[in-house]
Amino acid sequence: MSLAPAQLFPEFVANALGLPGIAGEIVGALIAAFLVGNVMLTFTGVAGPWAKRKITAAFTDRIAVNRIGPFGLLIIPAAAVQLLAKELIIPEGADRPSYDLAPIVLPASALLGFAVIPMGNLGPINVQLADPEVGFALVFAFASIASISLVMAGYASNNKYSLLGGLRAVAQNLAYEIPLIVTAMSVVVFAGTLQTSGIVAAQQEALVTLGGITIPSWYAFVNPFAFLLFLTANMAEIGRNPFDIPEAPTEIVAGYQTEYSSAYFVLFYLGEFLHIFLGGAILTMAFLGGASGPGPESIGFVWFVVKIWAFFLFTQWCRAAMPRFRIDQLIEVGWKGMLVLSFANLVLTAVLVGVTV
Amino acid sequence: MSLEKPEADEAVVPADDAEDIAALLGENVIGREEHVNAPGFVVRPDAVQDTLSTLKDEAGYDHLSVVTAQEYENRYESIYHLKKYDDPTQEVSVVVPADKENPVSESGAGVFTTADWHEREAYDLVGIDYEGHPDLKRILLPETWQGHPLSMDYDQDQPQVVSLSEHANPLQDDYKDAESDTMFVNIGPHHPATHGVLHLKTTLDGEQVADVESDIGYLHRSEEQMAQNGTYRYQIMPYPDRWDYISAGLLNEYAYARAAEDLADIDVPEYAQVIRTMGAEMCRIAAHMLALATFALDVNGDFTATFMYAINDREQVQNLLEDLTGQRMMFNYFRLGGVVWDLPEPREEFFSKTRDFLDQLPESVEEYHDLLTSNEIFQMRTVDTGILPPEVAKDYGATGPVARGSGVDYDLRRDDPYGYYDELDWDVVTEDGCDNYARLLVRMREVEESAKIIEQCIDLLEDWPDEERTIQANVPRTLRPDDDTEIYRAVEAAKGELGIYMRADGTDKPARFKIRSPCFSNLQTLPEMAQGEYIPDMIAALGSLDIVLGEVDR
Repeated sequence: MSLAPAQLFPEFVANALGLPGIAGEIVGALIAAFLVGNVMLTFTGVAGPWAKRKITAAFTDRIAVNRIGPFGLLIIPAAAVQLLAKELIIPEGADRPSYDLAPIVLPASALLGFAVIPMGNLGPINVQLADPEVGFALVFAFASIASISLVMAGYASNNKYSLLGGLRAVAQNLAYEIPLIVTAMSVVVFAGTLQTSGIVAAQQEALVTLGGITIPSWYAFVNPFAFLLFLTANMAEIGRNPFDIPEAPTEIVAGYQTEYSSAYFVLFYLGEFLHIFLGGAILTMAFLGGASGPGPESIGFVWFVVKIWAFFLFTQWCRAAMPRFRIDQLIEVGWKGMLVLSFANLVLTAVLVGVTV
Repeated sequence: MSLEKPEADEAVVPADDAEDIAALLGENVIGREEHVNAPGFVVRPDAVQDTLSTLKDEAGYDHLSVVTAQEYENRYESIYHLKKYDDPTQEVSVVVPADKENPVSESGAGVFTTADWHEREAYDLVGIDYEGHPDLKRILLPETWQGHPLSMDYDQDQPQVVSLSEHANPLQDDYKDAESDTMFVNIGPHHPATHGVLHLKTTLDGEQVADVESDIGYLHRSEEQMAQNGTYRYQIMPYPDRWDYISAGLLNEYAYARAAEDLADIDVPEYAQVIRTMGAEMCRIAAHMLALATFALDVNGDFTATFMYAINDREQVQNLLEDLTGQRMMFNYFRLGGVVWDLPEPREEFFSKTRDFLDQLPESVEEYHDLLTSNEIFQMRTVDTGILPPEVAKDYGATGPVARGSGVDYDLRRDDPYGYYDELDWDVVTEDGCDNYARLLVRMREVEESAKIIEQCIDLLEDWPDEERTIQANVPRTLRPDDDTEIYRAVEAAKGELGIYMRADGTDKPARFKIRSPCFSNLQTLPEMAQGEYIPDMIAALGSLDIVLGEVDR
């Protein structure tokens, strides 16, 4: 905990503006949250219309967008205009309040999750919005709101494919959230704290030094088994291949988002990509040493960004390479495999920690 | 080696058989006909089931290729083209006349399940009423269609009213009562996994398929009637390209070329035969590559790399085909009596390009095995799903990789040889898995066999003496086969037995042109594979059938 700097991002903003007291806390928090939120939204903006295409194209021997702007980057504003200019079609018989709320809840839940993620230093700024003592539990709580959004969308759309997608999303999240959190608990057992900054700080010591290269005690190195479990459950949690069955385009058209168009569709996609990045952020925080990396501590944020983008790349790689499970197989893997393994991992970790401490 | 050989065989073997069969059928037979490919037995319209089951059980004719219906001046007629899976050169035509005023004929669907769809098509287009048929309704045209387009009194100018209110409500079956807890879902006509415009009326019990019924006909373009309005010599050949349009064009053209050449007694020079065989196998590779690609799409999800890799390989074949024919998909390269032009000059370049492709093919196939067939999740998804037992496959008249994936050793290239196939060294691929995985494996292995065939053809063509390169026989400008000759001839196309029935009436156009589409029969097996399985398995089964709606609907 020695590394956790006293000053969080909102306080920094308040101090920079010279606003003291409650007013400073509120204004500072709003501005800081606005900035962090926008950075994440920008990532998704880059990822959705551009990076994803480029990455998939690289995997599949194609070129992808390259006509508009350098490297086709101007496709991003073009796609934004195109998507927002489309007609918003609301199906007859849609359950209105929930139909409209679902696309807002999904990105909102992911954005909320970023509130407690320690993103490292950027120059003098410590990019972390809040650091509550139960931050690690909170981030999972926020992330799992997503399944409510999917069910709302699936149910409210008045479409059978959507309904199937919504049901699949529930079954999948139930089956994989428990292993996810049980595996996360092993991290808590290691770090001895639920505070996110504390978990990151606990991973900073050197594990071993091999031939002059110091391997830090990231939990991915300390307990690779837990890392793999968490990675797998995380893929299911964010619904990416081989666990993309709530959408499963070739089976149930587009699952819960079948009936969404225009701005709502964009919101769903923003939400999905935000959840990928949030999944990457949690993984980075819990297993990859947070924002640590070579170089001075003041560029930690850059490492954080590199790590979450690496996770994004990984999801796209799986997408290009992996077949999709069938729903019953997915549930089977979840309940019969992942759950058992995650508890085994927890017991193992507890014994290890109990013996060594 | 020429097209005469199988024909000569038939002239001898069934002639012996014909008397036996006539004796077997007894008094059901009311007359005899002689088709070019097989003896025809005219049977009473109320003895169809009896006749078919006798032929199936006692004479071993277990393959109902197709049911052709047509109208004459004085009668309607259904022809059941029967073959043996063990030896397709043994053929019998069961000719069933029906009354002109009141065309009723007994249904054969009780004996061969495949007759279900074929008779529905006959009812739909020609207007024969099949008594005892399980569900006689239109299949290609909308239910509200007025008249039967291939019948003689059909009025082409009659306006067709297909209003939504008159049409069946697509959600009508969507009920839920105390007993059933099912949900009705329309998969298609527009759906990512239907490979075209196919409508699957699916009843789901949870995520499991309780019942599925295919609704086809969205891509019906009257191909048969268009062929009936074209002349044998030139005007029909472009159409086959458009049936199975997944660049399997030359295989389709082969079907027409074979049938018409046998009908009009045309010899094809050996050199042209080799070129034809080579081109056809290139098409097979292209078609199988696409089947593999889209199957990966169905099982892996969109954006799978395998899809683009396979498309990439198909692209290489298409480049070769473009060099050869000048076209990438709609080749129109065959002519009756040969092919339209010789290999592209310089020939060496074409040969070396083809060899380059063949050299890198094993590597590609290996990559697909790495990416797909050896992937554990993929095996979980495909092994033991979409089961089609061999007896069921035969009952539905399944052919091609679908039948061979169920262990039915049936390949017309070997069993009813045409072209240059029986001079070459290659193997028929079968797998015993009967599942989605086996069907995929068959296609992948067939690609390798096709490569072997192409390689041998290339070797032959390379050494062919300059002066003997005859690409076309001397065929009259106008062909008028003799009046009242009938023929049914099939070839092994990418999806199975693609056959054509033609009846000549002494003019330069066929009086009846009937296409036996392998996809049509194969698609009929879908409910057998899908019932009780999960939706994803049904999608995988549909993908493994590798249907092309252009050929299903014609």
